[in-house]
Amino acid sequence: MGNKELFAEMEQSIVNYDKDEAVRLAKMALQKGIDPAVAINEGFVKGIQAVGDLFGEGEIFLPELVMGAEAMAAATDILGEAIKKSGGKAKYLAKGIAGTVQGDIHEIGIRLVTTFLIANGFDITFLGTDVSTSLFVDKAKELKPDIILLSALLTTTMPNQKEVIDSLKEAGIRESVKVIVGGAPISQDWADQIGADGYGWNAPAAVEVVKKLMGI
Amino acid sequence: MIKLEERRASIQPIKSKLKLSTLDDEEIKKINQAARDILEEVGVFFPSEKALKIFADAKARVDFDKKLVKIPGHMVTEYLKKASGRYTLAGRRPELDAKIGSNEGTYFYCSGEAPNVVDLETGARRRAVKSDVENMAKIADYFPIVSLVWPTVSSGDKGETAPIHGVEACFNSTEKHVQTESVMDEISAKYTIEMASVIAGGRDKLRERPIYSLLLCGVAPLSQDKGGIESALVFAEAGLPIGFMSMPTMGLTAPPYQAADLAIGLAEVLSGCVLIQIAYPGTPLFISIMPAIIDPRSGDYFFGSSFSQITSTAAVQLAHSNGLPITTQFSFGGSAFKLNSWQMGIENVYGHLLSVMAGADMSFGPSGMIEAVTLLDMARILFDREIFQAIDIITKGVEVSDRTLAFDMIREVGPRGMFLGQKRTAEELPKLWPPSILFEKSKVVGEKYRNAEEVAREAIDWVLKNHHPAPLDEKVQQELRRIVAAADRDENLKRELKGRK
Repeated sequence: MGNKELFAEMEQSIVNYDKDEAVRLAKMALQKGIDPAVAINEGFVKGIQAVGDLFGEGEIFLPELVMGAEAMAAATDILGEAIKKSGGKAKYLAKGIAGTVQGDIHEIGIRLVTTFLIANGFDITFLGTDVSTSLFVDKAKELKPDIILLSALLTTTMPNQKEVIDSLKEAGIRESVKVIVGGAPISQDWADQIGADGYGWNAPAAVEVVKKLMGI
Repeated sequence: MIKLEERRASIQPIKSKLKLSTLDDEEIKKINQAARDILEEVGVFFPSEKALKIFADAKARVDFDKKLVKIPGHMVTEYLKKASGRYTLAGRRPELDAKIGSNEGTYFYCSGEAPNVVDLETGARRRAVKSDVENMAKIADYFPIVSLVWPTVSSGDKGETAPIHGVEACFNSTEKHVQTESVMDEISAKYTIEMASVIAGGRDKLRERPIYSLLLCGVAPLSQDKGGIESALVFAEAGLPIGFMSMPTMGLTAPPYQAADLAIGLAEVLSGCVLIQIAYPGTPLFISIMPAIIDPRSGDYFFGSSFSQITSTAAVQLAHSNGLPITTQFSFGGSAFKLNSWQMGIENVYGHLLSVMAGADMSFGPSGMIEAVTLLDMARILFDREIFQAIDIITKGVEVSDRTLAFDMIREVGPRGMFLGQKRTAEELPKLWPPSILFEKSKVVGEKYRNAEEVAREAIDWVLKNHHPAPLDEKVQQELRRIVAAADRDENLKRELKGRK
């Protein structure tokens, strides 16, 4: 199979929400010695963009978006490691880390936000739930993201969003990253009060906020 | 118009003459079995070593590494039998007792717990503070349609101990039963139960007449919250009633089918019920299953769907088939993102009507909640009251008796006559035109009725100025303040709430 056909099949595997096929094709690309960054940019990213476009037009809905994003994530997991080793760079719009703050195990909302962002061409690492402030800061230092997304669903865990922002300041890296907050009890006022850069009241809104902050 | 006069608190459940059964016996059996299969084969996540040990000692299948509990069907049956399904959620006076499981009708909550409020003076949205909790509890105390009171909003000015301040604010501002949904750790549970026992006159008296209870919401699908579960164990130890709530969302945290939504929600709440009955057999319990859907375009949680409403009524039958009372219907919060829109009215009318007809023991209700329970507009409770008044009238059906057939009146007035001048008409007609904020006569030329929002706000202003819930004894109030101050200083509590040990 030539590279052109392979890239077309990669794109199609995402459009078909076929995680297993996406993984198979990602591995095939590595076996063929194709630059993993090129495989992502020419194949899989085109697929997730197509999925995102269909979603935006109302032709498909969230379940398809999630399946497309999962297929994308499975492929980029395989290729991402190879990219790191080769020093290449996939063409993402921006890089981010996301998670629910310490003491809070709710994750559905932040997962949706992550899915929307991946579907829109962002590289997002999901850290999970009950993520300690120190882990957010450590990952920010390690991965050097452009954005950090903090979710809190309880009024009692909201203060930990502020704690993360304050800790980023103490670590001297606050200015290098945009912090976006969200969750049911969160509001724009709260975001302003704690010094966040943005507030997304639902997943689509979060994407728009991120794009605006990134100048996209 | 509505008549505002100072009066002592009273409660008025709604008992329906009309009956609704959404499921037949076979369907109830299937869903019950499905819930038990889920408990036995899929299991529930319990991130609490205490809870895992309780289950393990009782011979449930426990994976301590995965924090997963699988409960065999026979255990569910055995332990549910121990639960008390008939008990009192006590007010400060017996007249304010909600007699759960005694077929008195559906008791309504003024619940919440929203983070934001519409400011009474400015009309602007702002973060809620403790005085908002006090005000809303006072309003809830005034209106008989409210039987059970939560902190309606979060005491945003009190930091980590906001839930404890919220409970104190309610204890001071209403004589009605107080329940919390936000005391979700052991230490806060102990502080608030201490307050309740001071008011009751001691632990034994509190157990006899529980003026305080807990509703614990799990994390769908099939997960419990560590702090919440450990708080529930403290409440159970004190003999206080506990409710377990699940919020399975079709297509998100439950399969995209109503029956599966019920099964998975039932499994989640029964897991909590079984835990409590193992640890403290005989604890009064109730459940709550709140089905919902999402907007498939955005993932937004959608309260007001017709699918949710009818599925919620099926949950009533499931609860009762397990010998458990149920709290139902949360659509009072509405999905509408516009204050006082007709959409909100529609969602709340039919949702609660169905609940009352289904025989729900309790229901979330007149609380002034808007925007999926994130915003309190206090005056909105008057609109909620309109809805419940309508439901009360509708569910009483038609009274058929010699008196109401009124043959003697018909014979007396005769053909082409008028009933208006009859003495019995003078007595009965006002009952057909119940007090309403919607039909206040306007003094403005060309305007038939006053703006109902203005009428509602005036009513709320009046209640806040003129209604005085019976205060707690000054010594009791002092003791509550001491307990809350101790909680504010408690470093262990702060660490617990921040998620750190």
